[in-house]
Amino acid sequence: MITVKINDREIKLEKPMTVLDAARSVGIKIPTLCYHEQLERYGGCRLCLVEVEKMPRLQTACTLIVADGMVVRTETEQIADVRRGILEFLLINHPLDCPYCDKAGECELQDLVEKYGPGKGRFTEKKRKVPESLQDPVIVRNMERCIMCTRCVRMCEGLQGASAIAVINRGGHSHIEPFSGGRFDCEYCGNCVSVCPVGAIMSRLHRHSYRPWQVKEQYETVCPYCGVGCTVITQVRDDVIKRVIPKLGSAVNNGMLCSRGRFGYEFVGSKDRLTMPLIRKDGTLAEATWEEAITLVAKKLSDVKSAYGSDSIAGMASPRCTNEDNYLFQKFLRVAVGTNNVDTTARAGFAGAQSFLENIFGQGATANIISGLANSDTVMVIGGDPTTVNPILGLQIRACARRGGQVMTVGEFEGLRIFSPTTLQPRQFTETTLLEGIVTALREKKGLSGANTPLEAKIKSINVTASDVAAKSGVTEKQLAAYVDILTAAATFSMVIGKEIVQSTGGSYKLLLLAAITYLANGRVYLLSEKANEQGALDMGCAPDMLPGYRPVAYPEFTKRYGAVWHAELSEKPGLHLFDMIEAAEKGTLRAMYVMGENPVCNIPNSGRVEKAFRNLDFLVVQDIFLTETAKLADVVLPALSWAEKDGTFTNMERRVQRVKKSVQREGMEDWKIVAEIAKNMGYRMDYTRAEEVFHEMAKVSPLYRDLTYEDIEKGENIYPYKGEPLRDVKEDIQVDTSAVSASAGKLYLKVERPLFHSGTMSTHAASLTNIYPHAVARIGAGRAKMLSLTEGDVVNIRSKSGSLALFIAIEKAGDDSSVTISNNFESKGAFRLADYTLDQVTKAPCIDAVEISIEKVTA
Amino acid sequence: METILLKNIQNPNSADITEYKKAGGYASIRKALGMEPQQVIDEVKKAGLRGRGGAGFPVAMKWTFASADPKFPKYLLCNADEGEPGTFKDRPILEKNPHLLIEGMVISGHALKAEYGYIYLRGEYPAAKHILNAAIKQAYDNNLLGENILGKGITFHLSVHQGAGAYICGEETALIESLEGDKGQPRIKPPFPVNVGVFSKPTVVNNVETLSNLPYIIAVGGEAYAKIGTPDCPGPKIFCVSGHVEKPGVYELPMGTRLKDIIYTHCGGIKGGKKLKAVIPGGISTPVLPPDKIDCAMDFVNMPKNGSMLGSGAVIVMDESVCLVKVCHRALKFFEHESCGKCSPCREGTGWLRAILGRIENGEGMEGDIDTMLAVSANMLGKTFCPLGDGAASVVQNFIKHFRPEFEEHIRAKKCVVNG
Amino acid sequence: MFSSAAIQEIEEIRTKYPNARAALLPALYVAQREFGWLSRKAYVAVAEQLGVPTATVRGVATFYAMYKQKPMGRHLIQLCTNVSCMLLGAERLVDFLKTKYGLEPGGISSDGRFSLVIMECIGACGTAPAMLVNDDFHENLTEKNLQDILEKYA
Repeated sequence: MITVKINDREIKLEKPMTVLDAARSVGIKIPTLCYHEQLERYGGCRLCLVEVEKMPRLQTACTLIVADGMVVRTETEQIADVRRGILEFLLINHPLDCPYCDKAGECELQDLVEKYGPGKGRFTEKKRKVPESLQDPVIVRNMERCIMCTRCVRMCEGLQGASAIAVINRGGHSHIEPFSGGRFDCEYCGNCVSVCPVGAIMSRLHRHSYRPWQVKEQYETVCPYCGVGCTVITQVRDDVIKRVIPKLGSAVNNGMLCSRGRFGYEFVGSKDRLTMPLIRKDGTLAEATWEEAITLVAKKLSDVKSAYGSDSIAGMASPRCTNEDNYLFQKFLRVAVGTNNVDTTARAGFAGAQSFLENIFGQGATANIISGLANSDTVMVIGGDPTTVNPILGLQIRACARRGGQVMTVGEFEGLRIFSPTTLQPRQFTETTLLEGIVTALREKKGLSGANTPLEAKIKSINVTASDVAAKSGVTEKQLAAYVDILTAAATFSMVIGKEIVQSTGGSYKLLLLAAITYLANGRVYLLSEKANEQGALDMGCAPDMLPGYRPVAYPEFTKRYGAVWHAELSEKPGLHLFDMIEAAEKGTLRAMYVMGENPVCNIPNSGRVEKAFRNLDFLVVQDIFLTETAKLADVVLPALSWAEKDGTFTNMERRVQRVKKSVQREGMEDWKIVAEIAKNMGYRMDYTRAEEVFHEMAKVSPLYRDLTYEDIEKGENIYPYKGEPLRDVKEDIQVDTSAVSASAGKLYLKVERPLFHSGTMSTHAASLTNIYPHAVARIGAGRAKMLSLTEGDVVNIRSKSGSLALFIAIEKAGDDSSVTISNNFESKGAFRLADYTLDQVTKAPCIDAVEISIEKVTA
Repeated sequence: METILLKNIQNPNSADITEYKKAGGYASIRKALGMEPQQVIDEVKKAGLRGRGGAGFPVAMKWTFASADPKFPKYLLCNADEGEPGTFKDRPILEKNPHLLIEGMVISGHALKAEYGYIYLRGEYPAAKHILNAAIKQAYDNNLLGENILGKGITFHLSVHQGAGAYICGEETALIESLEGDKGQPRIKPPFPVNVGVFSKPTVVNNVETLSNLPYIIAVGGEAYAKIGTPDCPGPKIFCVSGHVEKPGVYELPMGTRLKDIIYTHCGGIKGGKKLKAVIPGGISTPVLPPDKIDCAMDFVNMPKNGSMLGSGAVIVMDESVCLVKVCHRALKFFEHESCGKCSPCREGTGWLRAILGRIENGEGMEGDIDTMLAVSANMLGKTFCPLGDGAASVVQNFIKHFRPEFEEHIRAKKCVVNG
Repeated sequence: MFSSAAIQEIEEIRTKYPNARAALLPALYVAQREFGWLSRKAYVAVAEQLGVPTATVRGVATFYAMYKQKPMGRHLIQLCTNVSCMLLGAERLVDFLKTKYGLEPGGISSDGRFSLVIMECIGACGTAPAMLVNDDFHENLTEKNLQDILEKYA
């Protein structure tokens, strides 16, 4: 027990801490500026100087660790004088911009001067002048206002791990800027903006457009972009989101955001938002009333159902929609249409991979807390760059590296490069052999415990020697041995798996190998998730074979139980999964589709094939917020409210259920409400007035979410398995698809880019994100570019069996010469336009790793 | 007193190992490596050696802390960043007696059980870099550095790390930061370098001159060493004198030699027989003294009693022709240039003081300027992250304390009252 | 990009330290020699060689006065004007350099031969005024011998 006295008040502390923390623990306020609870202490502003008995000099409370018997005074005449002096120093070069500066009203310097500062300054010399920098499209810098607290640099270097900005020069000439001196060209996470105490580094999105005290409404909600599910706070004025900020202390992201979460909200107010229903008349889509549209949809679906049967209709739900939207959607298809043909684009990766891993390890195998990665001593990453797909998860891996943890990768990931991970780079299409080699060697080192018999049976059957690995993959025996040594020594191991692995030939077999490695290393597994509610969509039963809560439709006891609650007779026939739907539409066995919140033409391979299949339907309804490529093909387009305009819940990749809160009032209906209206028109009553009611019903019928309420969620009692019953049985028989593909020399293959600044196509409607990453490019390695005599900015035609794209090129210095990387975020310019696929027989995910392409330069 | 630190430097080949050995060098190393590390520390304690960089910290005490720390490897860093204006005492050792330093470092490394040493050499000494590198190579070739030195099983690796023009890197934690490849900004203490220093390992930082005393201490023993100088501050001291004296230069004299004697006896008095106006006794950061305060022993105990400090022992002598406003202004230009920028009082205060002094020197001084400077410097003194800010503040405070009328005159007359 | 000789030099330097970052200051000197001054290109080369972020490299380099942030003349004059040198007439030498060579502090002479940087005490106070020209020390300067010294640098 450490006893200290602060201002004659005795404080007992159980562990050592700084004087500042000790003071704060009992509510004693000491002014600070350079101090920030998330950042390494600096001791530079000197504002927290306090008197400590027996120490001749004043001490900074933020750096001094308490000692037993210490006596501290924080409110003496001398200290008051010191504070006035420090603030005077900070103001001598600080411009009197308050009336003009966007920070006024939430400026820490302003607040401190008001409370502790001198009334008047004595400085009469020339002030430092540095012009405002508007060279960056997203972040505005005003170095005259900078007080050199260096919170931004310490955040960027120490916590974000991007090291994009630094202090240039020294002394009074110091200023902070990115490497280029103008544009930041960084990860645009904006975490520097969060921590700047003054108006020196700010976002351009709301520049000169409001005052902090004019923001009347503030809502704590969940980011709509990826599966991390960061807590964000929307600040709203007059039904316009003015700004999105993080919340310090929030469970998932603790005050950090990425570029999408922070700057990507502008799609909500985009002028391209759909406002009225559209009905195709004489070949073109024309505005119609809600009554017309809903009635037409209900009639058409009923007609198709009578003519061709329930199973001739299919529905696509959405990993961008809320649990309430998705729950009601699958219910609609099952009770009003009478079919199990419901799925989502989670099928393209997440769904199959998760169920594969859960069949081995039990349900909840991937429900691991993201911040736990920072505390792992070893993290292995394969199949995707976590720093771009799930950026906040990527930050935890960087933190792990900073703390001395081992970060290992298969393949190079730009966002982790500077952290010197141990990397293995197998030749194209030889990953399987490499992973088999790792499993073999790791098993030899660690032995088998007998805990998981089916998995161990599979592990025992794998025998690939180090020399086989070297011969096939190019990874040397020495490299392999060193890699396996790290895995052997790991005490707290985490495996992070990205979509590229799942969407590759033999993906399920590779998942088995990764599961084996995780098992042998006694670790846990994380599956990267690109969309905010992939997990939730699956939990809600948006799958052809599962009812909400993962009860199979093929089991009469479940269909009867659910049917009883829903007052309907449910089909026991498992429906079509996503890619089977496309095939069925092509063949004509599927005649109508209802697509909610999804853009399959763009978002799944093979775009041309999906488009053709949809055109073959008798009737297509698309419900969305923008007129997407898919919507343009529809017979009826229904405009929905966006994420910011409705209440609901998302379930993130940790299986944490979180509340989505309505921030903006807009005329229209939520997705679930539109579905309910259509159901009503088809003779099935769905009377809900609020999203909470939908959730309540879902929680009655889903054994996993049983009895979960909004109140529980808001109290933080929202972690898997909630109050429900997880399924723990493990499959005895692990099926895998061992298809393989081999590289043909000289061929060029397609790789899909999952960029940091875009997620799906929604982000392309956010002006700041398109300012950073404006259009699709084909990324080509320097060697290949040279071979083809291409220079930066040339336009090329990229062709595959399935289609062609005309794109600008970008030359990557370190790019590999056997592939061209293209994103899939810009409508009609996506990689999936080129991607034909085979399906992994087990996960049903599309394998798009072997798409052969050709390039030719387009001469002007 | 025999010449110890600057022994043999008149020899044009004094930097060569053969010459050094001929003059008796590298005998102590053999003796020291035959002693236990603690025995070496004990001799240093008996010798009463205090750091010669300016702070005067007892060397044996610093070494004991580092030695007691359980972490390995340990590091010995030689602070050759001699940057205090007026100071040029280490340069003769570096350029003309490098083996003395090397020998001193091996002995000190042994005492500390340090395996690695770096000489942090200021970038402004390119000649010293070449000379040191050559001397180090000679030492390696002669089994005096590297593995199993002289067959005694002791390992000590030494190399030169060049700074790049930052006075602040003379501060030990800033030096460590710079060695690690970062800006030279001082670190929060505690932890102290003796526990968590360079590369997070126990580190001792000692000045060139300090380390150069080791061979002699080992040769004659601590007790005999302590007979030189004064009981509180034993040993020889290299004083470097510049400015308006007949014979500026380096003078190796016992610690405690009186400042008056240094100026008038050893340096031949004021140049051209002019009158003494002011003396800075230990480098620009030490308080300036008026002529009636120079009859004082130059050591770590007496100078503070006299209102100043020994500092680096760099004596700057100013005669009646000097405009002290100009000197004060130039000093603050120096501090402003060298401020690392980490803490607000120094970063902003040095520029403010320099600006006021500039105006005064230019004839644009205003009433109230002196009081403003006193207030600003008082707001810096004791509030900054490291002593650089204290140095800047104390320059202003002491110049005004002793020479206020000249400042007031300069302001009133709107021009220099000494030189017109 | 660095020449292979420069890369080898940096790799050798690196062996003196337990990690690559500590080789940053020496590597910057190599880059300065190689590229003449530290342009963005030079920073990128150092950053890639040592695995240190570019912004960090530039931040560290600009902290130190002796790394050059702009192109220099063929020969670098580093002249001290701190107190001891000032007392012995250094300022007159600054004026002389301006008049004779068109050389301003921080600038390049009209014929491109010299750059002038003002220094803060180069440890030659007893033989003031003093300067460095490239790696050569010149002390006890006067206007006369200053000219003689500089004439030797082509």
